[in-house]
Amino acid sequence: METPANIETAPEVEPVQQRKVTFWTSLHRNKIAMLAFWFLIVLHVIVFIGPLVWSYTPTEMTTTGPLANWSWAHPFGTDDLGRDVFARMLHGGRITLLVGLAAMLFSLLIGTIIGACAGFFGKVVESILMRVTEAMMAIPNFFFVLVALTVLGTSPMMVIIVIACSGWMEVARVVYGETLKWKEYEFVEAANAAGAKPLRILIKYIIPQVLPSIIVSGTLMIAWAILTESAISYLGLGIQPPTPTWGNMLQNAQQYLWTAPVLGILPGAAITLIVLAYNFLGDGLRDALDPKFVKK
Amino acid sequence: MLRFILNRLGQSVVLMLIVTMITFFLINLAPGGPTGAMRMEASPEERQAIIERLGLDQPVIVRYGQWLGDALQGDLGTSFNSSEPVIKRIFDRLPYTIELTVFTVIFSVTIGIIIGVISAIKRGRAQDHFINFSSVIGLSVPSFWLGLMFILLFSVELKWLPASGVGPRGEAFDLVTYLKHIIMPVIILSMTILPNIVRFTRSSMLEVISQNYIRTIRAKGAKEFIVLYIHALRNALIPVITVIGVLIPRLLSGAVITETIFGWTGIGSLIIEAANSRDYPLVMGITVVITLVVVLSNLVVDLVYSKVDPRVKNLA
Amino acid sequence: MKTKRWLFLIMLVVTIGMIAACGSNDGDGGEQAEQPSGETGTSEPTQGGSVSIPIVADPTFNPWHPSAYAESNVINRVIFDGLTKFGKDGLPAPNLAENWEISDDGLVWTFNLRDDVNWHDGEPFTAEDVAFTFNEIVLDPDLGANNASHFSQLDRVEVIDDYTVDFHLASPVAALPAYLSFNTEIIPEHIFAGEDPWDLTSFNKENPVGTGPFKLKEYVSGQRVVLERNDDYFDQVAYLDEIEYKVLADANTHVAQLLSGELDIFALDDTSAIERIENADDITIVGRETPRFFWLILNHNHEEFQDKRLSQAMLHAIDRQAIIDTVLQGYGTIADAGIAPILSEYYTTDVKRYDFDQDKARELLAELGYEDSNGDGFVEKDGERLTITFDVGIQGDLESIAQMIQQYLIQVGIDVQLETMDWNSMIDKVVIQRDYEMTLNWWRYPADPDLTAYMHSNSADGNNIPAFSNEELDKLLEAGAQANSVEERQQIYLEAQQVMAEELPYMFLWYPQEVQVRQSSLQGIPDLAFGDALYYTNEWYIEQ
Repeated sequence: METPANIETAPEVEPVQQRKVTFWTSLHRNKIAMLAFWFLIVLHVIVFIGPLVWSYTPTEMTTTGPLANWSWAHPFGTDDLGRDVFARMLHGGRITLLVGLAAMLFSLLIGTIIGACAGFFGKVVESILMRVTEAMMAIPNFFFVLVALTVLGTSPMMVIIVIACSGWMEVARVVYGETLKWKEYEFVEAANAAGAKPLRILIKYIIPQVLPSIIVSGTLMIAWAILTESAISYLGLGIQPPTPTWGNMLQNAQQYLWTAPVLGILPGAAITLIVLAYNFLGDGLRDALDPKFVKK
Repeated sequence: MLRFILNRLGQSVVLMLIVTMITFFLINLAPGGPTGAMRMEASPEERQAIIERLGLDQPVIVRYGQWLGDALQGDLGTSFNSSEPVIKRIFDRLPYTIELTVFTVIFSVTIGIIIGVISAIKRGRAQDHFINFSSVIGLSVPSFWLGLMFILLFSVELKWLPASGVGPRGEAFDLVTYLKHIIMPVIILSMTILPNIVRFTRSSMLEVISQNYIRTIRAKGAKEFIVLYIHALRNALIPVITVIGVLIPRLLSGAVITETIFGWTGIGSLIIEAANSRDYPLVMGITVVITLVVVLSNLVVDLVYSKVDPRVKNLA
Repeated sequence: MKTKRWLFLIMLVVTIGMIAACGSNDGDGGEQAEQPSGETGTSEPTQGGSVSIPIVADPTFNPWHPSAYAESNVINRVIFDGLTKFGKDGLPAPNLAENWEISDDGLVWTFNLRDDVNWHDGEPFTAEDVAFTFNEIVLDPDLGANNASHFSQLDRVEVIDDYTVDFHLASPVAALPAYLSFNTEIIPEHIFAGEDPWDLTSFNKENPVGTGPFKLKEYVSGQRVVLERNDDYFDQVAYLDEIEYKVLADANTHVAQLLSGELDIFALDDTSAIERIENADDITIVGRETPRFFWLILNHNHEEFQDKRLSQAMLHAIDRQAIIDTVLQGYGTIADAGIAPILSEYYTTDVKRYDFDQDKARELLAELGYEDSNGDGFVEKDGERLTITFDVGIQGDLESIAQMIQQYLIQVGIDVQLETMDWNSMIDKVVIQRDYEMTLNWWRYPADPDLTAYMHSNSADGNNIPAFSNEELDKLLEAGAQANSVEERQQIYLEAQQVMAEELPYMFLWYPQEVQVRQSSLQGIPDLAFGDALYYTNEWYIEQ
C-alpha cells in the first residue's frame, strides 16, 4: 500500500542510492537480524566447506555399525544403516539450503516476470496474469505441491520447480504494485517516449526500484521453501534417498523415534534454526527498507 | 454492491474451472496410473481390463469433458479404488477434518486474541518483544517435527497421551479419551495460524486504541480493563474474525500434515491415499471440495470486508 | 546385533538398577522369541472374548475385486472360504472341498464339496457357487479379477451335481489345490448373479455374505471392521465372540497399541521396533517362515546384463547376512534359489552358493572385461564405466536395503545410481513398461514350488520381470507342473533349484521370516505365518 508521501519525495534520478544509507544503519541497529545474518553466514560456510573436510561420506556404511552412540569419530553417532550422522547432516544441509536458494531464485524470477509484465503492459495482459495470480493464491498451495510431486516424480529439479511454482504469487503482487507506481514517474515516461524497448526500461529502471522488496521477499521465501521441502520430504514426496536432506533424514528417523530419538531431533532442530534465522533476517530487512513497518 | 457480488462470483467460477483443469491434466498426464495400484503380480491382461473398465483408454480431453459435465450436475463420479461414490468417500472422512479444524480455530482464536491483546497493551515492552519473538519461532518450527517431538515427550516418555488415532467412536465414545486424542493434533495445527492471529490482533488493537472514541471513553473515567476488553476489543474483533477466512487455505494445508502425523483419518490423509493409488475421481472430488471451501470463505471475507472496510469496494 | 543388545541391556541396568539384581532373562529377548507357541498351550480353550488386528486402509469385502489388497485379504479369508486352505503342514488342506482327485492325463480335477455349508444369509452353499465364481468372475477377461492369472490354464468349471465340480484345464497344473487356497475364496451366486461384481457396493463395501467362521457385524470407513462369530459355521464353531480390525495407517501406532494391549496380533513390518517389543512382558514374538523371497534383478532385455557372471559377481559383492542383521534384525535366511524353507519337501541348500567375497566379485568382473583401468574406483570396459541405474519403489524396508546394496556394489567398482520412487511409479516403470536396468523387490507366492510364473520364458510378459530365458529351466518347470507325485516333483525341483542358483534368473537375496507379534494370552494360533493362521480363527482363544 503506497503512501502518497512516498511518491512525492521520490527523487527522479537515483532513488536507490538514498535508500541504501538508511537501510544499512537501520539493519545494523536490529540486533536479532544481525545475529541471524552472521549465524547464516557461519552455517553456510559449515555446510558448504564441511563436507570437503569431513572424512566420512554421507552414504558409506561405517564399520561402527548401526545406531551407534556419540563418539569422537562420529560426533552425532551413526544412523540405522551405520552411516555417519554428522556427514549426513553436513551434506543434507547443503542440499536443503541449495533447494531453498534455487526454489527462491526461480520463484522470484517467475514472480518478477509476471508482476512486471502485468504492471507494464496493462490491459488484457494485466487482467489475465493477475487473475491467474489470484487463482494460484486461492489454492491451498500444499495440496498443489502434494499432488504435483506425487505424479510428477521427485527429482531434485522437480522439487525445486514445484516449490517455486507454488510460491511466486506474493512476489508477483509486490512487483506488480511497484511497477505500477514507478511506471508513472517522469524518468520512465521519458525513456518510453525516447523509444526505449520495454525490456530495457524494465531492466534499467523498474527492476532496480523493486529490488529492495524483492530481496525481502526472497529472504522470507528461502525460509518458506526450506519448510515446504522438509514437509514434503516428511510425507515421502521430497528429494529421495540416497541423497540426504534434513527433511528425508527426519522422515527416516520417525521409525526410530523410540529407539534413537536423536536421529529425529537433530535435523528438525537444524531446520528450525535456519528457518528462524532467515525469517528474522527477512523481518529485519523489511523493517530496514521500509520504516513504515517498524512498530506501528 | 450487487455488481460486486456478481463480479466476485464470476471470478470464483473461473477460478474453480482453472483449478479443476490444472489438477485433472496434471494427474492424468503423469507417470503411473490406477493400474499401478493393482498388485504387482497382475498380468498385462488384468491391467488392460481395468483400463477399459475405467474408460482410461479415451483421450484425456474427452475424459475431462465428461468429468466436468457430470460434476456440473453434482455427480463427482465413482472412486476407482472402492467403487463407491466419491461424494460418499469424502463425506465419510470430512467430519474428522471439520472436527479438527473447528477445534483448532476455536483454540487459536481464543489464545491468539488474548496474547495479541497483551502484546498490544504492553507495546514496546518486554512482553511485547517476547510475544513477537515467539511468533516468529512459531512460524519457523516445522509443524510435523514439533508433532513428532510432542509424541516423543507426551506419548513415549510420559505416556500421557495416545500417539495416534481418532479415538473410539459411537458406543465406545468417551469424552476424556476423545480429548486425549485430539489435543495434540489441535495444538500442532494451531501453530500454523496462531502466530498470524496474534500479529493481526495486535495491530488491529493498536489501531482501535489510538482512535478518538476510545480516548473519550477513557476520559470519562471508565476502568482500563473495561475500556480494553469491552470497547476496544469488540471493535478490533471484526477484522480478526475475517482474517480467519484468509487463513483457511493455510489451515487446510496444515491439516494434511497434522492428520498424517497423528493418524487422524480426515480429508488430508484421504488425498494422500488417493494420490498414491491414482484414484483420479477421488483426487478431483477432494480438490473440488477443498477449492469450494476456500473460494466460499474468500467470498464471505470479501463481503464482510466490503461492509467493514470501504477500501475493498474501491478495489472491485 | 549382539553388541547392540548388550548396549541396550547396560542402559537398562543403569536406568533401572533393580533389573540387574533379578539378573536373568529380561534383557535377552531372543530366548522368548524361540519359544514354541500356539498349540502347546496347556489350558482348555475358553469361550468368548475379542481380538484386535490392525489393517492399514479400508477393505473391500470381495476377494476378487481388483482393489482388494492385503488389508482386504486378512478379512476376506475369515469371512469367506476357499475350496482348500493353507494346511498346518504347509500343504493344501480341505476346506469347502472335502477331497479331490485328478484324472490320469492331469487335465480334469474333481472336487467333492461339503454338503453342510450355509451362507451367512442362510442360503445353502452348492457347486453352482463354485462354478459361478470361476466361470463368471475369474475367467471373464473383461473383469480383470485379482489373481486370475493363476488360473490361466483353466478352461471352465463344470457342475457335476450339487456337491461335485470338475475343473477342466488346458494343460496340467499340479499346483491347482495350492492356488485354490491363495486368496481364492468362493462368493455367493445368489447375490452376484446378474450384477456387476465390482460395482455391487452393497456387498463389497457394506454387507458381505460368506461361509466363514465369522460374519460382518459393523464397518465404519477409516475406523474399524467388526466381525462376529458365525454360530452356523460348518466346522468347529469359533471360541472368540468377535474379531475387530482397526484401520491404522501408521506402523508406529501398531507397535504402540500392541504395547498398550489395544492390539492383539499382527505381522510386524517395522523390524526396528523389535527391541522395544522384546522388552515388554506378555508379548510373544515368533519368526515364521513364509513362501517369499527377496530378489535383485538385472533386465535381461539388455544384452550387457545377460551374462550370468555379472549377476554372480554382484551376489559375491553383497554381504547379505549383514543386511539381514541390520535391516531385518536377523529374521531371514540367505536364499540360494526361489523355493523357500517353508516348502520343506522341496527346499534345498545343495546348490551353488555365493558367499560374501568381494575379491571373487572383482575376479568375475575382470573375466567379463570390467576392470578399473584409470584408478577412479569404478570398473570400465573399453573405456566405458559400468554404470547401472537402480530403480526401487518405496515400501517397507526396500529403501534401506537398496541403499546398502548400492554401497556394496560401489565397493567392487560398479557405479550404481539409485533412483527411489513412489510405488505406483515403480510399477508403471518397472512392471508395466519394463523400462529399467536393475531393481529390487520380493515375491510372495502360493505354497507350491511351481515358479513358472516368475521364471519361465513364456512368462516374460508377465511376472518374469527380468525377462530371463533358459531352456533347461523351462523344461524342468514344465515337468514340475505336470508331475503328479511329490517324489517325482522333489527330484525335478531339486534340479530346477540347481539351475536357478547357477544361472541366476534372479539374484536371490534371502527368504524373509515374518515377525509375528501377539499378546501372550492369545492362544490356539497354529505355527503358521499370520496370514495363514487366519484360516484357523475358529481355533483361536484367549487364555484366562
